[in-house]
Amino acid sequence: MSGSVLLAELIDALRCLPGVGAKSAQRMAFHVLERDRPGALRLADRLAAAVERIGNCRRCRSFSENELCSFCANPLRDKSVLCVVESPVDQSAVETATGFRGLYFVLLGRLSPLDGMGPRELGLDLLAERLRGGEVAELIVATNPTVEGEATAHLLSQLARDAGVRATRLAHGVPLGGELEFIDRGTLAHAFGSRQTLT
Amino acid sequence: MRVEDEPGWLLHARPYRETSLLLEGLSREHGRIGLVARGARREKTRQPRALLQPLVPLSLAWSGHGELVALTAVEARGQPPLLQGTALLCAMYVNELTLRLSPRHDAIPEVFDAYELALQRLADHPECAWTLRRYERDLLAETGYGLVCDSEADRGEPIDPAQDYIYIPEHGAVVYAGQANVLRLRGSALLALAADAMPDSEDLASLRRLMRALIGHQLGGGSLRSWSMLAGNLPAR
Repeated sequence: MSGSVLLAELIDALRCLPGVGAKSAQRMAFHVLERDRPGALRLADRLAAAVERIGNCRRCRSFSENELCSFCANPLRDKSVLCVVESPVDQSAVETATGFRGLYFVLLGRLSPLDGMGPRELGLDLLAERLRGGEVAELIVATNPTVEGEATAHLLSQLARDAGVRATRLAHGVPLGGELEFIDRGTLAHAFGSRQTLT
Repeated sequence: MRVEDEPGWLLHARPYRETSLLLEGLSREHGRIGLVARGARREKTRQPRALLQPLVPLSLAWSGHGELVALTAVEARGQPPLLQGTALLCAMYVNELTLRLSPRHDAIPEVFDAYELALQRLADHPECAWTLRRYERDLLAETGYGLVCDSEADRGEPIDPAQDYIYIPEHGAVVYAGQANVLRLRGSALLALAADAMPDSEDLASLRRLMRALIGHQLGGGSLRSWSMLAGNLPAR
């Protein structure tokens, strides 16, 4: 180990990233110092700017450096369909996989009283206000198929019903390319229960 | 210590480190236990993620000593109760209540049985409130804070269904005598709880207030987070 205090601090700081332990952090630090100082400067600059300037969109709560995120500000997107997801990562997954052209609402969590996440923390008052606004015709509930996700979905469906908005839920079942033999019971039971007519 | 094939449920699961889960389990023979499921959040894992969540009947195996033990195997033990909508929210409340009131490593098989019965009742009956009151009653009784619902605390007289009473924590029911700021309820509510017979809606509501006060007292003046969730405090409702 070299005698540089700064280097030790850099290695320690890098460990705040997911998947980065002591060894990887050391490798990253040596890499940027030996081979890519401009890249490191750019990273430091963007990192500082992002942390400083990125907040939450006023309408959908997703990450955005402006008051409205690029989805909410885009006039071409369909305002009548609103997809509710748990996190910005889920939002990006839906966006890349589905060709969905509506708008999103990001809960930044899921209902979990033991973790201190209640309706207020999930911004449900903001969502209720939006549903009452009359622009939304369908609320797509895309929370995860976990216990907490289902409970959240229940609250969302109540909100939608109160506002007279149709609520739909993502289907869950057998993954494409999967084999029934290896699928857990719960998923299989669910898929079996919500089977569809072949046309 | 190694434990194999222990019937259990998970009360709570939360992410721990990069790929692990920190679990709070309830087992029949070992009481409430803290478990670590290492690597359970990896894409490929020996422990199926669908099982490692609350409200699924499980067969657990673990090894280790102390506050946290390592989960070594998990298997489904029958069909999960079909909990939807309000019943699901109530079941989450049951989990929080069980977690807060049952001490770790204190095996009370009766609590486990009452817990399973409560979940089954929530799945079977639309009347969740009565199921919750019965479970609260049983949980308090099994953890050593049972209510005396059929006789007065001071005189030992049988409870009169038409009389109004106040219930004092760790003391019992006393005839209501015009006191202010007390928890007042009809004798019929107390008798219903004692006889395990569903009361009318007014008594059911007063039992709910009673149970909250008793649980709050038990938690040293604290409250349960689920209360605010169940109280119908959805925005604009």
